[in-house]
Order: sequence, then structure tokens, then C-alpha cells
Amino acid sequence: MTSVAERPDPMSDPVSRHTPPAARRDLGWIGIPLVAAVGLAAYWLLPDDLALLTRIAASALFVLSLDLVLGYGGIATLGQAAMFGTGAYAAGIVAVNWINDPFAMLAAGGIAGGGIALATGALILHARGLTLLMLTIAVGQIVQEVANKARDWTGGSDGLSGIDPAPVLGLFRFDMFGRTSYLFALAVLVAGLLVARRIMRSPFGLACRGVREDPLRISAIGGSPKSYLVALYAVAGVFAGVAGALTAVTSGIVGLDSAGFPWSAEALVMLVLGGTGRLYGAVIGTAAFMGIHHILAASDPFHWMGFIGLFLIGIVLFLPGGIASGLERLGGLLRRKEDRA
Amino acid sequence: MTKLLEVEGLAKNFGGLQVSADISMTLNAGDRCALIGPNGAGKTTFVNLVTGVIPPSAGTIRLAGRDITRLPAAERVRLGLIRSFQVARLFKSMTVREHLELAVLQRDRRTFRLFASVGKVAGLADEVAGLLDTMGLTQAAHTAVGSLAYGQQRLLEIALALAMKPKVLILDEPAAGVPHSESQRILDAIDRLPEDLAVLMIEHDMDLVFRFARTIVVLAQGRLLCSGTAKEIVADPRVREVYLGSRADAR
Ligand SMILES: Nc1ncnc2c1ncn2[C@@H]1O[C@H](COP(=O)(O)OP(=O)(O)OP(=O)(O)O)[C@@H](O)[C@H]1O
Ligand SMILES: [Mg+2]
Repeated sequence: MTSVAERPDPMSDPVSRHTPPAARRDLGWIGIPLVAAVGLAAYWLLPDDLALLTRIAASALFVLSLDLVLGYGGIATLGQAAMFGTGAYAAGIVAVNWINDPFAMLAAGGIAGGGIALATGALILHARGLTLLMLTIAVGQIVQEVANKARDWTGGSDGLSGIDPAPVLGLFRFDMFGRTSYLFALAVLVAGLLVARRIMRSPFGLACRGVREDPLRISAIGGSPKSYLVALYAVAGVFAGVAGALTAVTSGIVGLDSAGFPWSAEALVMLVLGGTGRLYGAVIGTAAFMGIHHILAASDPFHWMGFIGLFLIGIVLFLPGGIASGLERLGGLLRRKEDRA
Repeated sequence: MTKLLEVEGLAKNFGGLQVSADISMTLNAGDRCALIGPNGAGKTTFVNLVTGVIPPSAGTIRLAGRDITRLPAAERVRLGLIRSFQVARLFKSMTVREHLELAVLQRDRRTFRLFASVGKVAGLADEVAGLLDTMGLTQAAHTAVGSLAYGQQRLLEIALALAMKPKVLILDEPAAGVPHSESQRILDAIDRLPEDLAVLMIEHDMDLVFRFARTIVVLAQGRLLCSGTAKEIVADPRVREVYLGSRADAR
């Protein structure tokens, strides 16, 4: 006898029945506090790996921006690093030449990333599929080339160095052990997750989900799919720009590879690994990818990419929704057991 | 009487195939008009032309006196020209409630609010509850459309059109796929529409047509065959031949 109440469907959960489905999909309220808690735990447990953890946190914010574009907007892109790189350079240039307050640097990165996304998005987002993919790659190449040519500002292929951020809030210096860097990066990531979730539950987020599923139906209720896509692309550009700025703040240098095609592609791999359209899937994917990379690259520097490849194939074949979907299924199983007990 | 929708000499060719030819018709405020015709007559194509989903090969379309022939679909919607789809065309992963929320927010141009919570937009919950109630969808409010019975998807399709507060409403076979018990609900909802609205309904079910329509337009092979009151149409021998006759034969 299977009644509706026994289906492994979140509707059967009496708490979630009254919350909108977007809330159910990101594991209710657990997802973001969990990221904060695990992040803090890692701070105590892995004090020697703070540099790696800091890179993971900043990269996760970047992958989160890709999730906004791809997971919520359905925009296929291999050029998200254009916004990351622009944000990183903007923050670095501002710090070297004018002010080195870390929040001012983040703001500069966000504005630059959002601005370039708005300008290029308006130009390329009428395209779809492969054409769009090529155009996003082209934008990334152009940004990289501009950064390469503007040596006076960016340091060209040597990279932009000498970024020395002031203490956070005038209180916390960026110490040589990277403690401040990590906690700052973690805080920015958690704040980014909260803001992203807020946006995705807003009227705008609802409309973007509609555009992803059926743009023509959106026109039939009077909306313009392209303007939603451009706006979403710009919003994600702000996130990517802030992520780039965060990397500039915490690492002190910005290189040409920050706008490069490989970085865009790697972000896509991390997102697919973690699971799209969930926000925290971006964090899980980034942590998994960079964690595995770190461990394998140390023990087997020649074959680690092969292992990552196998891992990715395994995930795509057996967990098409990424690691996050696996966790959700696990969560669903546990919840049903609790219900029965 | 105010002319709301005026169509003149509308034509559409797909390659060499002429699917619509020289269609002219007018809808006035308060009209309840049925568009009938055999399968493949070009009824849906006509709706697509009028609503701007496909561009016409010739002809003009005016809405409340304004030429909208070249206007994009979304702008026609904003002017109050709303259609429903013959085959339910919905957002599979969204719930019934989310569909209506989106439609109402879009209608009021409140979709570019990035930091508001959908649940807290003033007046939204009440309006959506009213729409759900009208179409008998309250029980299904939190069900994702992908797992909704087809009849209910049809009801939602109508609810979406109603949510837009149309001036001209075009319903493409609103009762197709809806169990007979539920089609009454659709008619009830249409009955309760504001009087001054112009409604054009495409429908094969003649029971529904006669209950709904004051005037009927018959389309055959992409051309207007005739139009008139329900009585005139039933009596017209040409209509019997191309449409009613062939239907009666089929039964
Ligand atoms: N995009 C298209 N390209 C080519 N032919 C088309 C296209 N769309 C429709 N047609 C043709 O135009 C004719 C009319 O189609 P349409 O869907 O408008 O008919 P209809 O009157 O709505 O029929 P039904 O009662 O079955 O819904 C059909 O012969 C169809 O094959
Ligand atoms: Mg049709």
C-alpha cells in the first residue's frame, strides 16, 4: 500500500509542506549554517592548511556565481572567469594606487565584475547554446588580452603584486599564518551565500527560474526573457567580481590566469561535481575538487588529473545531480526513518 | 461599442504552404466569440499570429486602435492581449502557487525586486489564494506542475491567463484534455470574467461552444468561411459541410 504520505517526497515532511520549494531544495536552513560551522571547524582542525582553505572559500564564491548563471538561469558559459579576473584586477589596482581597505577592494571588484557582465551580457545573451558558449569564451580571452597589454596597471604577464590590504575594520591584520585571511574569506563566502539565497527567493529569482524552463512562456505572461538573463548575468558578475577581489585581498597578487579559460572550465567542473541550482552545491563541489587535488597532487603529482576525471565520470553517471543531490537523498532516507520511529 | 481587437487581411505562409489567408475579424468589448473549424484549419496559427509568437506574411493587427502588428509578444501581453495554450505549457519544476505568483508579479512589473521575499510582497498571497480558489486548485497549490494531473494543468493554464487581468483573452481549446466534470469549472470561471472583456475561445466541443458563445467564426483551410450568431452558424449549409457534417459523420 503506497499512500501519498509515504513517497520519499519532501511534501511528506510536515515542516516543509508549508515552505516554498526553493527553500526545500537548499536543505531548508541547514545548508548555509552548515557551511559556516564546517568552515570554522576546519579552522581549528587544519591550522596548517589555511592557505588551501582560503583558496577554497574564495573559489567557492566564484563557483557560486557560476551556479547563479548556469543553475538558475540556464546560461551555458565558459567565460565566467572574465568577471572574476576583472574583479581581481580592479581590487588590486585600487589597493595599489588608492585605498587598500579590504571592503573597499571587495566593492571595487563587485562593481567591476558586475559592470563587465552587464556590458558583455547585453551584447551576447541573445545567443543560445554553442554560439553563446563561444561568445563567453571570447569575452574571457579579450579581458585576458586587455590585462596583458595594460602592463602599467596590471603588471602584464608578471602579474599584479604589491597588494597589501589594510587590517579588516582597522582591527584584524592579515597575519603571516593566514588566519585573518581565512576567516575573512569564510565570512565573505557565507555572506555571499545568504545574499544569493535571498535573491533566488525574490520575485526576480522566481522569474529567472521561469526563463530557464521556458522563455517563450515568460513572454506569454509579458516578461522579456533577455532582460532577466542580462540582469542575472550582471548579478552573478558582481559575485564573481567579489570572489576575484577576495582572492586579491587574501593572496596579495593577481595573475593573468585569473581571467583565463582554464579557470572558467575548472569552475564548471566544480559546479557539476557539487550540483547545480542549489547554491551550497557550489561550496561542496569546490571543496571536493580542490581537496582531492591537494591530496592527490601531493602523493601523485603526475596522475591526479586522471583521478579527478574518473571521480567526475563516476559522479555524473551515478549522481547526476552532483554530490549535493546524493546528500539530499541521504537526508531524505534519514528523515523517513525518523518519521517511522 | 469599443473595438478592442481588429484583424485585417492576416495571412501566413510556411514555405509554400498557405496556413492562413486573408483573415479579417473584429472583437468588441464584451464579445464572447467562438472560433471553430476542423483540425488543421489554422486556428492555433491564427492565435500565434495575433499574439505575436510568429510574424504574419501580410495583414495588420490593431489592439484598442493601436497597430501592434510588429510588436513583440511580451509587449502585446502588457497591453492586455492574453492567450492560453492549447497544449498546457507550464514551468515543470514550479508549483501551482509559484506560477500564479510569477504571473501576478510580472503583470504588476514587480519582478525586478532582487531583495524582497516573494512570500512578503503586499497583496500577493491574497490574490493568488483567490485565483487558486476560483479554479479549484487550492489543494494542489504546493504541487510541482510536473506531477500534476493534466486536467489540473489545464485549469492552471486558464488561471494564469486570468491572473494577467486581460482586456482581450484568447483561449485555445481550454477544455482539451479536461475531464467533463472539470470543464464546467472552466466555463464558470469564464462566466465570471468582467463583462467588458473580449473573449475568443477556440473549441471543438460544441456543447461548450453553444453554452459560451454569442457569436461564432468558422475557419476552414486557413480562410474565414463565415461568421454570425450561433443560430446562423448551425443553419449554414457550408458549415455543416466542412465542419459539423464531417464531425457528425465521424461519430
Ligand atoms: N511552423 C509550422 N510550419 C509548417 N506548417 C505548420 C506550422 N505550424 C502549423 N503548420 C500547419 O498549419 C496548419 C494549421 O495548423 P494549426 O495548428 O493552426 O491548426 P488548428 O486549426 O489549430 O488545428 P487543431 O484543431 O488540430 O488544433 C496545419 O496543417 C499545420 O500542419
Ligand atoms: Mg490548434
